[in-house]
Amino acid sequence: MIRIAAVGDVHVDKDVVGRYRPALEQLPDRADALLIAGDLTRHGTVEEARCFATEFGGLEVPVVVVLGNHDHQSDLQDDVSAVLTDAGITVLECSSTVLEINGHRLGIAGSKGFGGGFAGACASNFGEREMKNFVGTTEDIAQRLGEALRSVRCDALVALTHYAPVPETLVGEPLEIYPFLGCYQLGQAIDSAPTALALHGHAHHGSERGRTPGGVPVRNVAHPVIKQAYNVYQLLSDSVDTELVNA
Amino acid sequence: MTNQIDLEAEIQRLLTEHDRISEQGITVQRREHQVVLGGEVESAQRRDEICRQITERFPDIEITCDIGITRAQAPSEVEEIS
Repeated sequence: MIRIAAVGDVHVDKDVVGRYRPALEQLPDRADALLIAGDLTRHGTVEEARCFATEFGGLEVPVVVVLGNHDHQSDLQDDVSAVLTDAGITVLECSSTVLEINGHRLGIAGSKGFGGGFAGACASNFGEREMKNFVGTTEDIAQRLGEALRSVRCDALVALTHYAPVPETLVGEPLEIYPFLGCYQLGQAIDSAPTALALHGHAHHGSERGRTPGGVPVRNVAHPVIKQAYNVYQLLSDSVDTELVNA
Repeated sequence: MTNQIDLEAEIQRLLTEHDRISEQGITVQRREHQVVLGGEVESAQRRDEICRQITERFPDIEITCDIGITRAQAPSEVEEIS
């Protein structure tokens, strides 16, 4: 059995430091790892990254993250990643990691992802250079996420993105902005591997549950959606006790 | 005077692009005589800053701030994924 805690869109700055910590101190009793689905900071500054590392670092369980669009706002994403890595946090961008947990290998492949839209209402790689750059970015990131997912050898595989891979978990958001919230290519990447669970954030007004066309469970763990410090998902279980230990 | 048709768009862009706000998860709904801001943010300071900035930028419009602070308690349940 593996239990994964997950949240996204925590947008840490100095005014947030300390808010999550009481719940995070209890996390090792509830889960084996913490995955964070991007938008770790407000503006992607080094100072905010340090605040995030203070708040979410130093836990007794591994912490694995992807960046979100907010973490790119200052064009310092490499510096942000370096601060997090120095704090012992694993940052994924079209890459993967494997955690040994309870005798199982938990594989996590992650990427920020990008927009582009979904079947019937998606952008095309056609026309102006700006449009081709936009959709080209969508396609490139999805392709590399798929490669990362397919490269992992593990007992349970989790896909971690900021942008959404399916429209179901966007329900509640205005339809007009779906193309800025995710893309179907991420869902295709997730379906190209034996993915057990896909986690994303970004859609603050979206819905928690969905599935890819291939049947992979998708969970939108944006903080305003789950309305608690983190959710806990159980994988590889013979039986489940839905009450958390020490709850 | 702000064109009423553009009002929601102007507020939405200010919420996202103003360096002291940078929020993409705030809803803007126009009522008969007021604009209602909704959604959730991570701290009371952020909510107060949003209301202050929007009121300063649009002094002739009645702004109602229904923005909440997202709770951050530990969970009590686990979901089995199958």
